[in-house]
Amino acid sequence: MNQTAITAAVRRPMPGLGVYNVKLGMWVFLLSEVMFFTSLIGAYIILRFAHPDEFAAPGVVLNVPLTAVNTFILICSSVTMVKAYAAIERNEQAGLKLWLTATILLGSTFVGVQVYEYIHLIQEGFVATAVAYAAEGGPLYGSTFYLMTGFHGLHVTLGVLALLWILTRAVKGVYSSQNLGGVEAVGLYWHFVDLVWIVLFTIVYLI
Amino acid sequence: MQNDGETAHPPYMLIWGVLAVLMFAKVGVSLIGMARWVSITLLVLISLLSAFLVALYYMHLRFEPRKLWILAAVPIPLIIILLALVSQDFG
Amino acid sequence: MSTPTAREKTDWDIPHYAGDHHEELSFIRKYVFSTDHKVIAVQFLVMSLVFLALGGFLALLMRWQLGFPGQPLPGGTLLPETMAPGGIILPEFYNSLVTMHGTFMIFFAIMPLLVGVFGNLLIPLQIGAPDMAFPKLNMASFWMAVPAGLIMLASFWVEGGAAGAGWTAYAPLSASGDFTGVYLGQQLWLLSLFILGFSSIAGAVNYITTVINMRAPGLTWFRLPLTVWALFITAVLVLLAMPILAGALIMLLTDQTIGTTFFLPEHGGEPLLWQHLFWFFGHPEVYILILPAFGIVSELLSNGARKAIFGYHAMVLAIAAIAFLGWIVWGHHMFMSGMNPMLGTTFMVTTLAIAVPSAIKVFNWLGTLWKGNIHFHVPFLHAAAFVALFIIGGLSGIFMASAPVDIHIHDTYFIVAHLHYVLFGGSLFAIFGGIIYWFPKMFGRMMNPFWGHVHFVGTFVFYNLVFFPMHGLGLEGMMRRLYDPTQYAWLADLQPWNVFITWAVFGLLAVQVVFFVNFVASIWTGRKAEANPWQANSLEWSVPSPPPHGNFEAMPIVYRGAYEYSPPDRKEDFILQNEPPRDPVGDRVEPEPQPTGGLEGSE
Repeated sequence: MNQTAITAAVRRPMPGLGVYNVKLGMWVFLLSEVMFFTSLIGAYIILRFAHPDEFAAPGVVLNVPLTAVNTFILICSSVTMVKAYAAIERNEQAGLKLWLTATILLGSTFVGVQVYEYIHLIQEGFVATAVAYAAEGGPLYGSTFYLMTGFHGLHVTLGVLALLWILTRAVKGVYSSQNLGGVEAVGLYWHFVDLVWIVLFTIVYLI
Repeated sequence: MQNDGETAHPPYMLIWGVLAVLMFAKVGVSLIGMARWVSITLLVLISLLSAFLVALYYMHLRFEPRKLWILAAVPIPLIIILLALVSQDFG
Repeated sequence: MSTPTAREKTDWDIPHYAGDHHEELSFIRKYVFSTDHKVIAVQFLVMSLVFLALGGFLALLMRWQLGFPGQPLPGGTLLPETMAPGGIILPEFYNSLVTMHGTFMIFFAIMPLLVGVFGNLLIPLQIGAPDMAFPKLNMASFWMAVPAGLIMLASFWVEGGAAGAGWTAYAPLSASGDFTGVYLGQQLWLLSLFILGFSSIAGAVNYITTVINMRAPGLTWFRLPLTVWALFITAVLVLLAMPILAGALIMLLTDQTIGTTFFLPEHGGEPLLWQHLFWFFGHPEVYILILPAFGIVSELLSNGARKAIFGYHAMVLAIAAIAFLGWIVWGHHMFMSGMNPMLGTTFMVTTLAIAVPSAIKVFNWLGTLWKGNIHFHVPFLHAAAFVALFIIGGLSGIFMASAPVDIHIHDTYFIVAHLHYVLFGGSLFAIFGGIIYWFPKMFGRMMNPFWGHVHFVGTFVFYNLVFFPMHGLGLEGMMRRLYDPTQYAWLADLQPWNVFITWAVFGLLAVQVVFFVNFVASIWTGRKAEANPWQANSLEWSVPSPPPHGNFEAMPIVYRGAYEYSPPDRKEDFILQNEPPRDPVGDRVEPEPQPTGGLEGSE
């Protein structure tokens, strides 16, 4: 074999982790997101550990049944998202658009229910600020609650916007079984947000 | 290792059912009055199980190369270190 | 392998190589909103040199106050009344100076110089890639850093002045403006760092993906130049540490603005939680500020000594070990916080353990020089100075790592001396060396070596005159962030030392003018550089200076490691990584390397 025989086929970059750039990049970014939520949730765990009296027992202030339904909605949105991915893996354009739309609707519903919940809690005096706090427990409870659920809600909202963008591209017919990096990357983000909520729901509402 | 897309899909709907059952089980554990340490242990275990199901099946980690598993596990020791050491300083 | 499917489709949303077709870009796309990693590196260089100069200027103002407390600053009347009425620096303004000097130097000078400049310039060039994995994200990373810097700068002119709670922003001092008199300034400080966090994380995602996925064929993990290793591990630290800071910043910001109570004890908050979160980020940040310098120095020393780096694998493992240990030592910043003493002991032991990999690195650098055919070029001198000064900074670090000793020297000028020995004597010397060394790859010309020597000698001398006496001042009890040392009897006797240091700072800054003039002049008038002016091995030296858009004509193929200097059977004392091996028997060329797995990839 001589120099000229080194063809383009041989000239491939070293295999890294065996996943393409967009997917790897999203995974790497999600590690960063894990650490971000670690700082928020970690602060809550530490503060609650240090001051147990500042927090109310489960179900006293927060509406557990409503949020359980909302959690169920988010879990459903995860399965619709994965269905959208499965559809485009088989090159089913209609299925992709249908399941993406379902995911967007479920995600928006989740955010809507959360806003509704916030309004009710604020009316009951469960607020984030120390001066106006008037519910069971102490202001640390309100501060940490709105910090964690608020940033999670922001992530869901950004996820819905990203899905809308993916949907417009899907309508244009950009994606195929050979080109689905965008769907998969946004899907990973969406499932991650779902995963965070599973943890948040447990430690904020149930413990 | 390579999944060529022709194989059967992971049991997405089954996982969905399991996640829903686990979620309502958590609500049940929380609302039934148990000893506090029992209910906390149960709740943490159930939510870890749910989180792993999402990561393994919905995020397809189960079907990815092992090296990606290692990558995805990188923050876990850091989380444990942070919580374990900082909690020593409070309470 | 069957037909490529979704999961196998690892190839390759990668950018084009220079040999591929290119469209002509407009001026704006080429130089302002450019996606070319080399242009972004130069943009980061310009931005961070401006902030470096600004940080130096702030230091000069502080030194004037410490050397000549209460005397009007020459030209100080140009400063607004709220900062220095009649040229005399106000205590409140001094607080802002301390805070902003630290903030600018750490977040807007050293960090972008090491990570932004060298990460962008070197990673694609040294791994044989045409660009970063996500060029647009790379561009966004720079254009997020600029507004962050401008917001930080603007906070000087808002009501109450710039943040004054130190670069560590300890709560509750930082959590309520009532304590410092700074309201908006502190909030802008928080906002600016939050935006900078986005910029850093975007950069880290890019670097990690690029190094993992886009190395040229044959470039196994253990053939990578140590610069790439160091920048890769640094990127991992940035990726995992910056979000912790972001979370803490948000909590502090809501404490300041809407009245939450995370860090304010009067409503049940925990000030110590801020310290824990801040240093859980902050100690990895300390290594973010030194690990890339380790990589640069290894490169320069090996090149200057014309020898392979001694103990390459040990060097890589030492970087990784330091990076990991960096996560379990943060408490050594908090020995005096009233922390649980058992916990303090834990942190003391883990901190002292870091001396082991650090010493391995120093030993290997010395081993690299041993019996080398040393070429004393300017970058080499900077690298050698780095090793010397890093040893001093490392040894003083052992003092403060020991909790009982730290009780005496905590928050004194001993700490100031230590951190400047590692950040200035360490990182900044490596940065100067790196800028001179890779200048041809940025601008296609060489910097003037004569003025390079002048700058080096002047910096080395004045640097030590400034910072070495600070060890003594600290041991005598002079506290850091002190406005007026003469107000304490035991420090008044030491005032001649403070005057001496202040004059030495004038000298140190004057010498930096030589560097800036040399830098700017060389961009246009320097000697035109050939492809490989330093006769080095790594891939960036196989392409013209400056490299074209897309870097390489086609994807290069790598046959050996980056440090095979002075091979026995050659006339030249270097061999490029992508030069095909010659068979002494015939003209047969060795079979090209087959792409194989990742970390365990064979040599």
